Amino acid sequence: MHSTPVSVAEPAPPIVGQPAPLLAVEGLKVHFHTRDGVVRAVDGVDFQVGSGQTLGIVGESGSGKTISSLTLLRLAPPPARIIAGRVLFEGEDLLRQSDKRLTQIRGRRMAMIFQNPATSLNPILSIGRQLTEILRWHTGASRQAARDRAVELLALVGISDPAARLRQYPHELSGGMKQRVGIARALLCEPALLLADEPTTALDVTIQAQILDLLAELRRRLGMSMVLVTHDMGVVARMADRITVMYAGRVCETADAATIFNAPQHPYTRALLESMPRIDHSYSGARRVLPSIAGRPPDLLHAPPGCRFHDRCPEAIPECRRVMPHEYLLAPGHTVSCLRRGSPGEATP
Amino acid sequence: MGAFRFILRRLAFSAVLILGVSFILFALINAIGNPIQIMLAETPGVSDEMVATLSKFYGLDGNFIDRYWSWLWAILHFDFGTSIIYNQPVADLLQVWGMETLKIQLPGLVLSTLIATAAGVVAATKQHGWADFSIVSSAMLGHSLPGFLIGILLILIFSYWLGVLPSYGAYSTRNLFMGSIVIDGLWHMVLPVAMLTVFNTATLTLLMRSSLVDVLRQDYITAAWASGLPARRVVLHHALRNAFIPQLTYLGTLFGLMLGTAPVTETVFTWPGLGALYISAIQQLDYPVIMGETMIITVMLVLATLLTDIAYVAIDPRIRLA
Amino acid sequence: MNAELAPTALAETAPLRRPPLGVWRQSWHRFRRNRAGMIGLFLVALVVLTAIIGPFAAPYDPNDQSAMLRGAAHAAPSARNWLGTDQNGYDVLSRGIYGAPTALAVGLGAMVIASLIGVLVGGIAGYVGGFVDEALMRGADFFMIVPIFVVILAVVRLFGIIVVGTALERIPNLNLMTIILLLGLFSWPPIARMARAEFMRLRHAEFVEAALCIGTTRRDILFRHILPNALPPLIVLVALGIGTAILTEAMVSFLGFGDPKSISWGQMLFFNYQALKVAPWACLVPGAAIFVTVLGFNLLADGLTDAFNPRVRG
Repeated sequence: MHSTPVSVAEPAPPIVGQPAPLLAVEGLKVHFHTRDGVVRAVDGVDFQVGSGQTLGIVGESGSGKTISSLTLLRLAPPPARIIAGRVLFEGEDLLRQSDKRLTQIRGRRMAMIFQNPATSLNPILSIGRQLTEILRWHTGASRQAARDRAVELLALVGISDPAARLRQYPHELSGGMKQRVGIARALLCEPALLLADEPTTALDVTIQAQILDLLAELRRRLGMSMVLVTHDMGVVARMADRITVMYAGRVCETADAATIFNAPQHPYTRALLESMPRIDHSYSGARRVLPSIAGRPPDLLHAPPGCRFHDRCPEAIPECRRVMPHEYLLAPGHTVSCLRRGSPGEATP
Repeated sequence: MGAFRFILRRLAFSAVLILGVSFILFALINAIGNPIQIMLAETPGVSDEMVATLSKFYGLDGNFIDRYWSWLWAILHFDFGTSIIYNQPVADLLQVWGMETLKIQLPGLVLSTLIATAAGVVAATKQHGWADFSIVSSAMLGHSLPGFLIGILLILIFSYWLGVLPSYGAYSTRNLFMGSIVIDGLWHMVLPVAMLTVFNTATLTLLMRSSLVDVLRQDYITAAWASGLPARRVVLHHALRNAFIPQLTYLGTLFGLMLGTAPVTETVFTWPGLGALYISAIQQLDYPVIMGETMIITVMLVLATLLTDIAYVAIDPRIRLA
Repeated sequence: MNAELAPTALAETAPLRRPPLGVWRQSWHRFRRNRAGMIGLFLVALVVLTAIIGPFAAPYDPNDQSAMLRGAAHAAPSARNWLGTDQNGYDVLSRGIYGAPTALAVGLGAMVIASLIGVLVGGIAGYVGGFVDEALMRGADFFMIVPIFVVILAVVRLFGIIVVGTALERIPNLNLMTIILLLGLFSWPPIARMARAEFMRLRHAEFVEAALCIGTTRRDILFRHILPNALPPLIVLVALGIGTAILTEAMVSFLGFGDPKSISWGQMLFFNYQALKVAPWACLVPGAAIFVTVLGFNLLADGLTDAFNPRVRG
């Protein structure tokens, strides 16, 4: 039960041997089969993460960003079902691996940090047990070796007196400390890819910055790649090399961080950026109010045909209502899914 | 609140509870008048002096508050008085008959906890599969099956139709089964224990499944999967321990329920335990036994609650010295 | 960030795809899709119909012991007595049918009493809070730990003696009424706890504060705003409680402390248990009736939980 079921109709396409990125997600579709109907939570999503890169996935709640990231480890909870796509990680399609193989990849090659440190540590096991257990399972280390490594990692994530912490329980630590333990847990086996799902949302503002700095430094020091899922444009601005903007289960735009912030193309990306408070703007005079995006995200049970943003889009044309936009390649490394930005001839395959 | 203070508070509350129950019952029994008089009312040749002497012997003279205090004082010294019907110290009766009750109830409780845990794990991890469906539906049926009906069905099947197990009593009256008193005793325990086990397992299974399903949805379980731990460790090590915490409270409640409904169980199997003693005592107004036994059952309930509290502290570090 | 924005004028002009249904209708829609709940509803309806129509359709008078005169006590099921006769020559089917109204009276009566006390105590505790809350909830704890069944047995018996020679003795079915009253008196704590939790939650709900702002009276706040919203979880508890009350009455009667003047399933078991070997039907029929009734109410409660609270389920 612990792996999201995969029911992909098409046969597994062959993996083409080019200089493949560390992680490539292709055409991922995850649907929830509820009693009220099928919720298309993730509906054809592509993104890539290169070695040593940080990809920021941005979107509002319900945009499918969390489900997408959980699906990378096949941990999207029931009633999620993976309908189509590939998750190519270090040359394997994770959607077509056995449970046994997945347990070898999870925690060792690809690890995860969770949003809420208060709930993501087991309340009745000591910190020491939670950390050493993982090490011993993956590396077969001795009790003592595992302990030493756990202490080393706790020190690395900036926890004072790490040896004493091993005997403590999660409720004895502060929120920021718990999140540091969560990070230490993810880094135990030095994974190649770190998934961070809103790693700072549940923390105090002062702690947020510390944790982000820590993540950035650890990523550089350990040479990892990172997928950072967040609704916070400020966080990706600070952390990400590349950014994928998601809306209602689909990708709107993917580009370098600088391009997204300086020359956003998708109307949704633009709206997101405009609704972000900026210190260099004056909100006086005619533009006193921080702009917001009118309307609300669609109910994915009854997703509108065509572009899912069309009813909130200031630039929508009648066609947007009917035609689902392809991903258009605007410049190398910059794709956008909007009818107004590309002509059909420019569609990427 | 520290664990020690927590338990101390429970103890204080329990003491008040026991006092309250004892007072209410004492008052009620006194409201019916002098039981000696009622019992002997239709017996010919009983003089008023005899009633007075007997009343004095059983501590039924004097005013209400005095009697309550002296009774309470005696109870604190484990002196429950003398049974009017059996003419034996109530304390001895409670001990002998109480052992018989625990003899079937504790195995029933242990067995059903083991079975329910296993069934709950299977159902929760194979959610919505056929195993889950059959476990949940049979538990649902069993949960609504009255205990005595289970007993009746067991007796009909195993004693009357198959003729393989004894239907009543704790020991054979004539020939011991296989010539050994131990084996004979165990042989008689089978059906009552089976009834209690079936009865408890159903409810415990439903509870185990729902709390395990709940725990399996928690972030820390997703985190355990994401760390690559195998299913065995995640379910049995990380999830089960957490799922057991709500179960503990219910085990205390269940023990109380079993003890409280012992009269029914023991009537079905003609079992010589506390329940049977209690019924004969209320039928015949054996007032020292009614009082003593209600007290003992209340105290045992309170102890069971206290034990679950201590078990809580042992299993959940959040309560420990918080 | 500000992506999750309050609905604006644009959203309000957008047409709604489906008109929103009322809470109750929505719950009914979900309930209908719950298999266990629907089976429960069917069983409960069966028992209720038996209680209403049964007495007109029963083949024999419940007090007809004529089989005894024919020497046909313990008779096996036959064309004459579909479910056989019992120890005392009664027709088991007819007795069983007449047990249904008694069972429902016990279940409903006990739960009416329990709900009144429970909602009152829990509501006050939750709405007033503070010391009152603490005192009332300690009281509820008291009733939760008391060995209810044993106490009921003793009280029923003692009360039976106390009333001898008083005016109360002339009340018909006094014994049954005592049992109902006791069941009610001992089953309110769970309802009180739930009512307390709901009242505490709703007291600070936005719509209640809004009502307070526009000057709604305290009585209207309690009875028109809070109580209807607190009902769903309470209804579930009441459905469960009816089953439990019926079962407890059956156990009390099975031990011989029931009302000799009324016909109940537990009492049928009491009279016929000694003859289990010769006439098992006389025990199995009332046993099955109790089972079906309790199962019906339990499944109904299960379905209702699901209908009122769709997220609880996995």
